[in-house]
Amino acid sequence: MTTDQHSPEGGIKHRHRHEGPQRHIVVFIFSIVLTLIAFAAVAAGGVNATFAVIILLVMAVLQVILQMGFWMHLKDKGHLLPIIFMLGGFFIAGTCIVMSLYWVWWD
Amino acid sequence: MTTPHAEAANNTLPYEPEKATLEGRNKVLGFWLFLGGEAVLFGTLFATFLALRNQTNDGPTANELFHLPLVAAATFILLVSSLTSVFAIQAMHRNRPALLRNWLLVTVGLGLGFLILEIYEFSQYIRHEEFGMTTSAFSSAFYTLVGFHGAHVAFGILWIFVLILQMSRKGLTVVTAPKVYVSAIYWHFIDVVWVFIFTVVYLLGKVG
Repeated sequence: MTTDQHSPEGGIKHRHRHEGPQRHIVVFIFSIVLTLIAFAAVAAGGVNATFAVIILLVMAVLQVILQMGFWMHLKDKGHLLPIIFMLGGFFIAGTCIVMSLYWVWWD
Repeated sequence: MTTPHAEAANNTLPYEPEKATLEGRNKVLGFWLFLGGEAVLFGTLFATFLALRNQTNDGPTANELFHLPLVAAATFILLVSSLTSVFAIQAMHRNRPALLRNWLLVTVGLGLGFLILEIYEFSQYIRHEEFGMTTSAFSSAFYTLVGFHGAHVAFGILWIFVLILQMSRKGLTVVTAPKVYVSAIYWHFIDVVWVFIFTVVYLLGKVG
């Protein structure tokens, strides 16, 4: 186990690097932009409904991938098992949604 | 090997203290298993909502009901709170408990703001739009899905607040750090679910 010692102020002598806030602020800005695009596509009106739906879903999925990757650390080393479990969860959730829509639309 | 609390007294905290002990790593992994289950749970609520969203039973439709500025405000508040909980974890990794506590307090405050907006929104629907739980299949599905998310926010606020109190007594140690880390993951997950809610419930409701 590697245990670096921290001085009270956060320390200068480190073998590891602390990641700064910059990357997370970039993720935040991207999230804001994706959200704005989604809201604008609806608020502007006149956008073809099918096209708007596609834009909305793409923006949502992109934002979720960004936030789960960076903010929930899924892109970091040692997260294969969490990724597998989350994908498993999403797969079953997706199955439920497809099943419900199939029921309603093609009954 | 020093005990966790002695470690804190000497003010030496391992890098990434949430992963420094086996118990901590197990907590994080166990929490991911829970989140996989949460994803399924919310998936079923989304499936129900999508199936019933047009069954309005002569009550208000999504397009008549929703006001985008309110939804945009709630979205912005929750997104900022997600960022502040990232800052909290970064403060934790730098072993700065006071800064960590402050960012957690900001996160909890923003969460409260979100919750107040949601309560206001629901009360408007019930009092002025005659849109109650039993108005239509759409209203039941709406309140169940969005309310369930709101309940998660309320639980998160309570949880993080209790952690702040606990840290004020026990300090930031390899025992308390995994709890804080896991609560931050939970908070991000709440934000991720909200991304799907504002997309699927509100924006798709406006599109039709």
